[in-house]
Amino acid sequence: MASKFSGALQLTDLDDFITPSQECIKPVKIEKKPTKTGAIKIGIDGSYLELGQDGSEYKLEKAKITLNDCLACSGCITSAESVLITQQSQDELYRILEENKNLDTQQGSADKKKTVVVSVCPQSRASLAAKYKIGIVEAAQRINGFFKRLGVDLVFDTSFSREFSLIESGKEFIRRYKARDTQKSAIPMLASACPGWICYAEKTHGSYILPYISTTKSPQQIMGSLVKDYLAKRHGKTPDQIYHVTVMPCYDKKLEASRQDFYNDVYRTRDVDCVISTGEVDKMLDVEGISLVDVEPCKEPCDSLFSPQSNELYGHPGGGSGGYLEHVYKYAAQELFGTHIGHLSYKTLRNQDFKEVTLEVDGKEELKFALAYGFRNIQNIVQKIKRGKCQYHFVEIMACPSGCLNGGGQLRPDDGESSKELLQRVDELYNSLETRTPFQSNDIHQLYEDWLGGSDTEKAQHMLHTQYHEVEKMTSALNLKW
Amino acid sequence: MTEAMLNLVCTLQGHLDRAWNVAWNPTGTLLASCGGDKAVRIWGKEGDKWVCKTVLQDGHQRTIRSVAWSPCGNFLASCSFDATVCIWDKRQGDFECMATLEGHENEVKRVAWSASGHLMATCSRDKSVWIWEFDDDEEFECASVLSAHSQDVKFVTWHPHKDILASASYDDTIKFFKEEEDDWTCFDTLDSHDSTVWSLSFDKTGERLVSCSDDKTVKFWQEYLPDNPQGVATSGSDPKWKCVCTLSGYHSRTIYDVCWCHQTGLVATACGDDAIRVFQEEPNSDKHQPSFNLAVTVNKAHSQDVNSISWNPKIPALLASCSDDGDVKIWQWEQKS
Repeated sequence: MASKFSGALQLTDLDDFITPSQECIKPVKIEKKPTKTGAIKIGIDGSYLELGQDGSEYKLEKAKITLNDCLACSGCITSAESVLITQQSQDELYRILEENKNLDTQQGSADKKKTVVVSVCPQSRASLAAKYKIGIVEAAQRINGFFKRLGVDLVFDTSFSREFSLIESGKEFIRRYKARDTQKSAIPMLASACPGWICYAEKTHGSYILPYISTTKSPQQIMGSLVKDYLAKRHGKTPDQIYHVTVMPCYDKKLEASRQDFYNDVYRTRDVDCVISTGEVDKMLDVEGISLVDVEPCKEPCDSLFSPQSNELYGHPGGGSGGYLEHVYKYAAQELFGTHIGHLSYKTLRNQDFKEVTLEVDGKEELKFALAYGFRNIQNIVQKIKRGKCQYHFVEIMACPSGCLNGGGQLRPDDGESSKELLQRVDELYNSLETRTPFQSNDIHQLYEDWLGGSDTEKAQHMLHTQYHEVEKMTSALNLKW
Repeated sequence: MTEAMLNLVCTLQGHLDRAWNVAWNPTGTLLASCGGDKAVRIWGKEGDKWVCKTVLQDGHQRTIRSVAWSPCGNFLASCSFDATVCIWDKRQGDFECMATLEGHENEVKRVAWSASGHLMATCSRDKSVWIWEFDDDEEFECASVLSAHSQDVKFVTWHPHKDILASASYDDTIKFFKEEEDDWTCFDTLDSHDSTVWSLSFDKTGERLVSCSDDKTVKFWQEYLPDNPQGVATSGSDPKWKCVCTLSGYHSRTIYDVCWCHQTGLVATACGDDAIRVFQEEPNSDKHQPSFNLAVTVNKAHSQDVNSISWNPKIPALLASCSDDGDVKIWQWEQKS
């Protein structure tokens, strides 16, 4: 099976072939129960049955590796893929929706129902719009309609949580830039929204690189905070009473959602319970036997977290990967040098996925930013940082060539269209929305006050920032292969 | 009836562990060898005798798997199981480590410079092939990371004139890569071997390739351009490589290396049965259906596996070999009629 993870992640695979059942080296905790000696037989379905002395049969539990075990282990990454298939898929969403329906029919059980929330990212929307050859707003209305028809309660747009991500990245950059003379790892600041890149950095470059990575959470995880904290409280629910699904252009996002940092121990729930890729949404349409163009559209493209006026779709300038560089650059130019930047002129370097932009003030290069997409460009940046030769202040790093619009979870071209042509259409659709700068929205300002108690509070730190962990390398003599 | 012989010129001892690879410099005056002792040894002639000129140490922390000279002869690259590649600069006389390239996740198996000297390729157990650009500032940058193989990549080699790369893998295939628009892409996969492909060698024209494998065969491949008169199907503007000859039954164990002499056309193999064999193409053999004859077998050429062999690029029919026994040997081919 071809891996759907980004190339960066695939490279962190340590062994030639490995599956959880074959060679997984993660120790599994086994509940020890006092038992009498007994016989074990293998059932016809391949399960192991313990035979009691009275002839009764008891099905033995299989040792299970969770995705989180995989993430904390440097053994392999391919294992994570098969684990993901069981833990994060459209089937899991169907299961929750089915449970909800069953609870509806049982008397007095309606309060056990989970509120099901789906947060759709703009890259996935553009990919679906391109496939079904409809506009971006219409796609949003129909996607909204599709999920509602399945029994989902609320459908959000992650462009909203991205505003927090952009604002926090900008503020964090200013802080780091000012501290650059005293704090060695302050600059360059490396963008943190791409989970493939984060996982690669943690597994491969550890302490050399992690301090440079922005602590700002990705739009997906900030949406997770909003839904499980802000929304839950407004609806008088506990976090575990909400089932939160995101629709993402990338499989690596599943790994991100599974991180221990985004797990609530008290309620035993994750900020994002399940991530489904754009392709998996398309599979759901298949299962339902309906084309997106035949789905009854909702009037609104998405629901709003609070005010009914704020559910219009919008984008952010600066490309299909979220516009981190562009926002941070403009914000820093304004805040640090009082320079208003309208349009950014990028200089393409060794390839299309590696560009830089420079702000000169009085003939001096004050800000030098780069976009580095795809593994080869990441490599050069990482090696430069290691050798102390990186001249950039900020790098927007994304694991996929061409960035998030070209994510591994996006829809593939139909016959007769090249990947490049499709990507071009997705890009046009993505950029067809009005853009706005994150500070334009009153809702955001209000949320900083109402939800976080201000912009620099402990709660804001907790809800909007995260941390990274070095994964120690395991070396085993058994691994050696000529 | 002609009689061919491979005469031992000398045995070069010095490696403290198995010797993995031998490589001649472009002028054929120096031979580099490397091995499990984490050292590179440079051998040269003093008078009539081959001697060890220098030993490069401290560049790597684990076994050095292979070495390669730049086409200008000024630089030597060594790659190691420590996942790094060292570039040694000999312009000041002694070899100075001028760069260490990191990026591979684990054991680097092979390093190769392109004919232009501006590109270098490496491959690794991490299944990837990397292409590095060596610019005029003498900085190396990663130009591409190719994940086309599904297993450990054992070997990479460049076309003798063009920027075309061939790789061989534990996934039993050979792949060809070229630069297209913005990045490198795989344009042909050769999957006729039944087991690990250990080594590849182009002939001097670059239109023919020889491969050797754990399946105990040697295969000859011919390049077919679009609209070729032979009617071999191609795709787009890319050439197609086709297996035109398989040598089986000659080797009793894994064949670890094969080298096609650019001066004489002789093909030598290094085998796990401790022997070196030399094959000679029949006169007037049709290149679309060539015949190769076994001209010489040197049994017990080494006391253990022969890991690598290499024809001298300038001195006709001078062959170097190295083995798990730690020895490096130089041989001279001779043919009496």
